[in-house]
Amino acid sequence: MEEKRLGLPSVISTSVGLIVATSCLMSLGQGAGALGTGFIISMILACAINICTALSMAELNSLMPNLTGGLAQYTLAGLGSFATIVTMVGGYIVCQAIAGSVECAMFGNAINTAFNTGIPSSVYCIILLVILIAANLRGIDIFAKVQNVVAYGLIGSLIIMGLIGMFGLGTGEKVVQQMDLTNGFSDSFAYLGLAFFLFIGCEFVIPISRNVKNERRNIPLGMVLSLIIICVMQIFVVIGMGRYTRWEDLSESVSPHILYGTSLLGFVGTLWMILVSIFAVISTVNSCISFLSYMCAGMAKINLMPEFFLKKNKHGAYYVGVLLIGLIMIAVNATGLSTSDSLSFMILVAIVFWMVSYVVSNINVLIFRKRMPKAPRTFKVPLGPVIPIIGIIGNIFMIWNIDGDPAVRNLIFTIDGIIFVLLAIYAALWCKFKIKKPMFKPVEIHEVMAMENSLYLEAHRKTKKKEGK
Amino acid sequence: MEYSKIEVVTSLNKLDGLEKALSAIGVSGMTVSQVIGCGVQNGTYEFEPEKNEVMNLLPKQLIMIVVLNSVIDKVVDIIKKELYTGHIGDGKIFISPISNIIRVRTGEEGEEALK
Repeated sequence: MEEKRLGLPSVISTSVGLIVATSCLMSLGQGAGALGTGFIISMILACAINICTALSMAELNSLMPNLTGGLAQYTLAGLGSFATIVTMVGGYIVCQAIAGSVECAMFGNAINTAFNTGIPSSVYCIILLVILIAANLRGIDIFAKVQNVVAYGLIGSLIIMGLIGMFGLGTGEKVVQQMDLTNGFSDSFAYLGLAFFLFIGCEFVIPISRNVKNERRNIPLGMVLSLIIICVMQIFVVIGMGRYTRWEDLSESVSPHILYGTSLLGFVGTLWMILVSIFAVISTVNSCISFLSYMCAGMAKINLMPEFFLKKNKHGAYYVGVLLIGLIMIAVNATGLSTSDSLSFMILVAIVFWMVSYVVSNINVLIFRKRMPKAPRTFKVPLGPVIPIIGIIGNIFMIWNIDGDPAVRNLIFTIDGIIFVLLAIYAALWCKFKIKKPMFKPVEIHEVMAMENSLYLEAHRKTKKKEGK
Repeated sequence: MEYSKIEVVTSLNKLDGLEKALSAIGVSGMTVSQVIGCGVQNGTYEFEPEKNEVMNLLPKQLIMIVVLNSVIDKVVDIIKKELYTGHIGDGKIFISPISNIIRVRTGEEGEEALK
């Protein structure tokens, strides 16, 4: 049995490290640039809705513990194959590929902010991606040992920068400007989508639950506390930004965190944020490529994606996934993603699917409560169905308010709609011709748990061959 | 007399956690036997696509405790949560009434025999 060594502080720090990424700072800069301190309302609302979803995921984890696939497996047991393929392939793989591309674009922007080379930012992105793809194909996790260090470096920097700015202790020149740019609550709603991006990813801590002491308490509590800590930290940063950086400069900047560092502490701030963010971006993009290749393999293991995603090269890497994800990211970056408007737009396109997967997770909780009311749950979300329902309504509300401009919103929905249709076609064909199971019939929980066993696919493959004879 | 016997048949690796959880709520006294057995799956491993036609008896453990009826629900709830993994093989709990308890050394009967 694995030793349980991690306590609540480790869960919180891991969760915070998994959620905060450099691309979040793009959202923060865009949102603060548009609404000033009014963006704090958007952040608090998005955080609250994500807390509801985090609690729902903790209950799902208590019902189906220690699954490596997480949301995909919960949805397979809750809603069946079709919903799983659409929400997980769409909600995770497509979304993460886009988000990873955005993160990569931040790298190129940071290089040009630092050195002003005159070479397009996308060139640096592509070079970085090629290096990381090569490293992942060789099974080398460049950042395995330093991943936590760079993540905490970014978080620690943000906390320090936020506090310095908030208390007016920076060496840069303070600016005098209206802090709250909103005309009412509805302005904050229009930026809920961007705010949502600041808080996604706490569910990535669930796979470590088997190593956590008193995981029944520490996993849900850790997820909630990490979201609150991130919210507070980013409130500090927004207030600090308001005191040292012009809002209009922030919204136009492709590296708002570096701009803030410069405004706050001059050259020292610039250098500090450039170094921290470059390392953080490399680490995040590396994790993204690796994680997605494992995700594709996980989906193949439960027979929802082609088996070639399970193939490993001689270095033990899921090379098909690595190559596919890497090439998608290169293609996205090659289209010239690096302007701030494009980055924000891509973030919003990506997160709609993530929000959909969060809606589905909350629905799964209600389904399992109806279907298996007496199954033991070491953690059950309090207040009956209220919190999952708030999670469902909140996420749908955020999808509807993905952007304040109706034209932009419709374009986002159009792009997501096209992706949804393509995924739906793939899902329908896959269910009908490959797995030959009804699209909307849930798989029994014990069957989904059995799929976690590495012998499951092998045993079922042998039976099919026998039947074929 | 208001005591019941709780017998739990479960996989071999679940004992430590269960001991600690029951001790924490004041349950003292437990008997554990190594047994072989199977349930409705006839001993089929969870990853196998077809159920065994003939019973295949697998190593298990049988845990027996005796508790007051007033705490049965709490004890059973703890046992369920402690043993639950969602996988086939989590086990079964059997509850039966106890008509009397006798301590051999002193001859005490009933509640006195458990104090």
